[in-house]
Amino acid sequence: MTQLDPILMEVFKNGFEAIADEMALILMRTAHSPIVRDAMDFSTALCDPSGQTLAQGLTTPMHLGSFYDAMRHLIAQYDGDIAPGDLFIGNDPYLASGQHLPDVYVIKPIFAADRLAGWAATIAHHVDVGGLVPGSNSIGATEIHQEGLRLPFMKLEEKGVRNRTLMTVIAANVRVPDQVLGDIQGQIAATRAGEIGLDALVRRYGADTVAAYGEALQDYSERLARAAIREIPDGVYRFTDHIDGLGESPEPIRFEVALTVSGDEVVADWTGTSPQVKGGINAPLSFCKSNVYAALRSVMSADVPNCHGYTRPITVIAPEGSLVNAVYPAPCGARGITGYRIVDCVFGALAEAVPDKVAADGAGGSTLPSFGGRVDGETFVFSECIMGTWGATSTHDGQDGVPHMASNQANVPVEMIEADYPIRIERYGFVTDSGGAGEHRGGLGLARDYRLLADDVYFGVRSDKADHPPHGLFGGRPGAPAVNRIASAGGERRVPTLPTEPITLGRGDVFRHVMAGGGGYGDPLDRPAERVLDDILDDRVSIEQAHEAYGVVLTAGLSIDHTATIARRAALRGAS
Amino acid sequence: MAEHEPAIGYRFAADIGGTFTDIACLSPDGVLATRKLPSTPEDYARAIVDGIGALAAELGIGLDRLEEVLHASTIATNAILEGKGARTALITTRGFRDVLELRRIRVPRLYEPLYEKPAPLVPRRHRFELAERMGPAGETLIPLDLDEVRALAARLAEAEIEAVAVCFLHSYANSGHERAVAEILREALPGRFLSISCDVLPEIREYERTSTTVVNAYIGPVVADYLCSLQQRLGEAGIAGRLLMMQSSGGTLDVAQVIARPATVVESGPAAGVVGAARLGGRSGHGDLITFDMGGTTAKASLVEGGDVVATDEYEVGGGISLNSRMVKGGGYALKLPVIDVSEVGAGGGSIVRIDAGGALKVGPDSAGASPGPACYGAGGTEATVTDANVVLGYLNPDALAGGSVPIDASLSRAALGRIADALGRDLLDVAHGVHRLANATMMRAVKAVSTYRGRDPRDFTLFAFGGNGGVHAAALAAELGMTHILVPPGAGVFSAVGLLFADFEVSHTLAWRHPLGADAPALLAGHLAALEEKVLAEMRTHEPVRLRWRADLRYRGQGFELPVAIPRGPVTEETLAAIRASFEAEHIRSYGHALGNHRVDFVSLRVTGTLPPRGPSGIAGVRQSIAPAAGDRPVYFGAGHGLIATPLIGRTALDGVARAGPFVIEEYEGTTLVPPGATAARDADDNIVIRLPDGGAS
Repeated sequence: MTQLDPILMEVFKNGFEAIADEMALILMRTAHSPIVRDAMDFSTALCDPSGQTLAQGLTTPMHLGSFYDAMRHLIAQYDGDIAPGDLFIGNDPYLASGQHLPDVYVIKPIFAADRLAGWAATIAHHVDVGGLVPGSNSIGATEIHQEGLRLPFMKLEEKGVRNRTLMTVIAANVRVPDQVLGDIQGQIAATRAGEIGLDALVRRYGADTVAAYGEALQDYSERLARAAIREIPDGVYRFTDHIDGLGESPEPIRFEVALTVSGDEVVADWTGTSPQVKGGINAPLSFCKSNVYAALRSVMSADVPNCHGYTRPITVIAPEGSLVNAVYPAPCGARGITGYRIVDCVFGALAEAVPDKVAADGAGGSTLPSFGGRVDGETFVFSECIMGTWGATSTHDGQDGVPHMASNQANVPVEMIEADYPIRIERYGFVTDSGGAGEHRGGLGLARDYRLLADDVYFGVRSDKADHPPHGLFGGRPGAPAVNRIASAGGERRVPTLPTEPITLGRGDVFRHVMAGGGGYGDPLDRPAERVLDDILDDRVSIEQAHEAYGVVLTAGLSIDHTATIARRAALRGAS
Repeated sequence: MAEHEPAIGYRFAADIGGTFTDIACLSPDGVLATRKLPSTPEDYARAIVDGIGALAAELGIGLDRLEEVLHASTIATNAILEGKGARTALITTRGFRDVLELRRIRVPRLYEPLYEKPAPLVPRRHRFELAERMGPAGETLIPLDLDEVRALAARLAEAEIEAVAVCFLHSYANSGHERAVAEILREALPGRFLSISCDVLPEIREYERTSTTVVNAYIGPVVADYLCSLQQRLGEAGIAGRLLMMQSSGGTLDVAQVIARPATVVESGPAAGVVGAARLGGRSGHGDLITFDMGGTTAKASLVEGGDVVATDEYEVGGGISLNSRMVKGGGYALKLPVIDVSEVGAGGGSIVRIDAGGALKVGPDSAGASPGPACYGAGGTEATVTDANVVLGYLNPDALAGGSVPIDASLSRAALGRIADALGRDLLDVAHGVHRLANATMMRAVKAVSTYRGRDPRDFTLFAFGGNGGVHAAALAAELGMTHILVPPGAGVFSAVGLLFADFEVSHTLAWRHPLGADAPALLAGHLAALEEKVLAEMRTHEPVRLRWRADLRYRGQGFELPVAIPRGPVTEETLAAIRASFEAEHIRSYGHALGNHRVDFVSLRVTGTLPPRGPSGIAGVRQSIAPAAGDRPVYFGAGHGLIATPLIGRTALDGVARAGPFVIEEYEGTTLVPPGATAARDADDNIVIRLPDGGAS
């Protein structure tokens, strides 16, 4: 590496990143499903010939660290049988080192003069891949065979010739073939853009130079990562977190991590985490690793290139057969929630090590409602990712209306939903008093209400944090818990956070989701009264909560009663 | 508003930037004169009035002979960046007052737990809800309660609110409720600025529409005050002629119309440069351009194809530097109005050079700005910048820039960059050359974002370089991209002001129209386009022949992003539809590499644009020289393969139509242009410097 030109390395780093960005842009613009084109639940990467990621598009962190395992699987499986014009597709957690069946990889080898120069890799969350329920994320599945179409890595194109049989099989096994095939076509377009981009670099600099600098970039990223880890005090940092559990009477599912920081290396050990469950939330090991990488990347500086090299100083230990290293035939359809909790758990542990670099707990990832049925003879499937809010940090209030750190996704416009689906959104906004009280307040939770305009609609939801609301830090209070309700002619009833039985909704029924609020940071009695008043004026905090949690007393004219506030705060401090 | 008449007088243009105000004047016979002076942020109008007065005096022109003043300004953007817009209220459908703050959720940075969102332009306490509801087909689901509206209007009348934005769900399909509210507000709140979403952006997607309507309200009173005061100041100074302002879409508009819809002018400066490039490049036979505008803190690129600029409506104002606004969203405030598609990166003359924790050399994105500026300015800056590297390399004059007005101390550049070279254990010239190339590597991404990202190969385009540093980096940047043709126009250092002089007067209107490209389309399409034309012509109020253009945005059913297609103007028939479909498929293949066969294609929106050419010469016949032409030579470093070469210094006029072989350096008042070894340069009939690089790139 020392023989290489640092200037040319920066040129290549820019070049690789530009290719990954371009792939992401093209996938987004050509995709057909709301979950890819609007919510942006997809990722793109440019990989070196050995399958190590060189650069990623600005997309979904929880996908990215798992490319390498899938690439290694593919390369081992097709060793000696990879040719120009080939294009691979696969999704299975066990047969293709995939994540869950809806996440489909489309990967293209890139050749320069008959020599493998790299790979253009994409992964996209498809709106449906068949199986028990519309959206293919059944919480109630007990084995992967119920979850939909399983694809080992196969050649979707061989030497430039499309495998029409495979496309026909895919189309026949999904509920909305137009959208699925349209999104696959978008993935193919993105891989082609990656191929053109890398080809241009190879033509300009030569394949050997590109390869040498690709490897140098990995080393460089590794050096920066090690430098960042060295800044974290050595020690063993532990954290325990929970998913509420499955179905009507949930048993909490336990996550336990021991983060050992020693010099410039980190080990994340998940021993003590619950065994895999008979429900679709199990995470394959590649996904667990990917989320650990994402969380640790978040406490490194912005300059660290997002390539495989930064993961080298990180070791993940996960007991086989546990929730975070599930084995066949564990179902994985809704494993996203497990990924979010892995990230949150690592952040929980890091709070002790680097309290100024992480936020208190947030909403816990996306809530994923799915609706499916038939209107005027046409099948529809709608699902979206609702996010989100963050906990507070040592310097500012929790952000509200933001994605989870692991998944930079967007909402789907209300007007687009109503134009395309038999659904009316009746409310979308923040919930007063839902942010955990603190010197820095947690972000507000948000509510979204869906009224159904059709009969006999399947409904399922993946959500969390009703029984285990987001924790605060250093005296900050937890955020308000999540709530799911269904209102129908017969009244309103609660729905579990992870219902295992299918729910049928009729015309006029309303699903109301309230997401958890973020945790607070620091003692709420230390929050300047003026800031509490601002929150009251903005309906973020009620006068009652100001009094109960912050010890702030107002006059009848809505200004701060300083004397009463001092007394109230003293009383609250004395009581605690 | 004045009616359009042919011009006979002098036309002046003023472009206000954060640091400098640039003035350009075009005489009736096409002679260009320019002037650069410091901006006066406490009263921007002062620099304009002073600059025009000084330049007019220099040219010996009476101020009463001014035909018009054309203007571009960052006033609207600054109001947003500095949080100094109007105190604005927002009225929404019940249940949706937080749409503005929730945005599209996505953030522009990955892996940053300490990220903070930009604060909403309207705080939650000023966002109000009314009971009302339309459905997606425009059907009324909940009627408006006029008493509730009146009560809210009374409450707002009492409050210290300067502007009100109204955005209801599905108002693009039925604007009845918004209009009813507007009527009541207009009566109850005389003199306050109103911004109604169905007027500002009648398009689906509530966040983008709400945000655009709010931006319009937030900057409305600021822009109106500024333009009224500017008009008054010009009048007081005896400066005659009408005042036109540049829109972000690249056409000029009468100030009265700008005041009604201020959100159309947020990116007026960058737009002026790109339009100028399109016009002057086209005149010189270069209709396919990539513009490259490199200044002190950023570099910008844009695409011109067949003489036409490319507009986008995927824009955020105040989002900071963005490679490509379509991917990196959430950092600013969505403004979904046509803006010339400009990609910007944090590389400029002031970009700071550092060594990072991994031992790599970094350039930017932080900048030494105008103050303290590069080390060589001797104004207290000690960190090495791109300009310092260019001084060390001999690319920039080691004694003074801008015809002597900015003194340079090259020893300070060598000292600052020397520290970096020592730390890396490398030769000073080698490191300086590395900095030059790294800046180019960053700027390549801006060029790629407007070309390869859209399926365009930069090698098919001419690089049109301007801005203070455009001519210094153009040759090396072009070589990296495999481009062989470069144009450096006259007035390159004040080119946004120059561009204003060549922009069309432009009015356009859009209709959101979600409809399949099918058998029933021709009659409907013809009707919609005729109605849009009527609206455009009514607003243009002219007897001159207006050039009218039709455009549709289309996409395959199911996609979320459109591609623009020109519709041939004339009778709309089955053949027109076939032509539209063919153009759409061709563009889809060009942009993404594939088409989808018989898959249904939908119209998403229609647009009619009316333009009138500028009231003056369509090109530059000559340039008034303000400094003596450069002469002599100095040692210049063009890379290890060449070493230091004694390189001639010349003025632009030393070039003629015959290609002269590099290396040489062209030094002018507004900027420096580098012609490396292996390249040639000539001067064309329009006074452009035309550089040719050998195929395969110079090094």
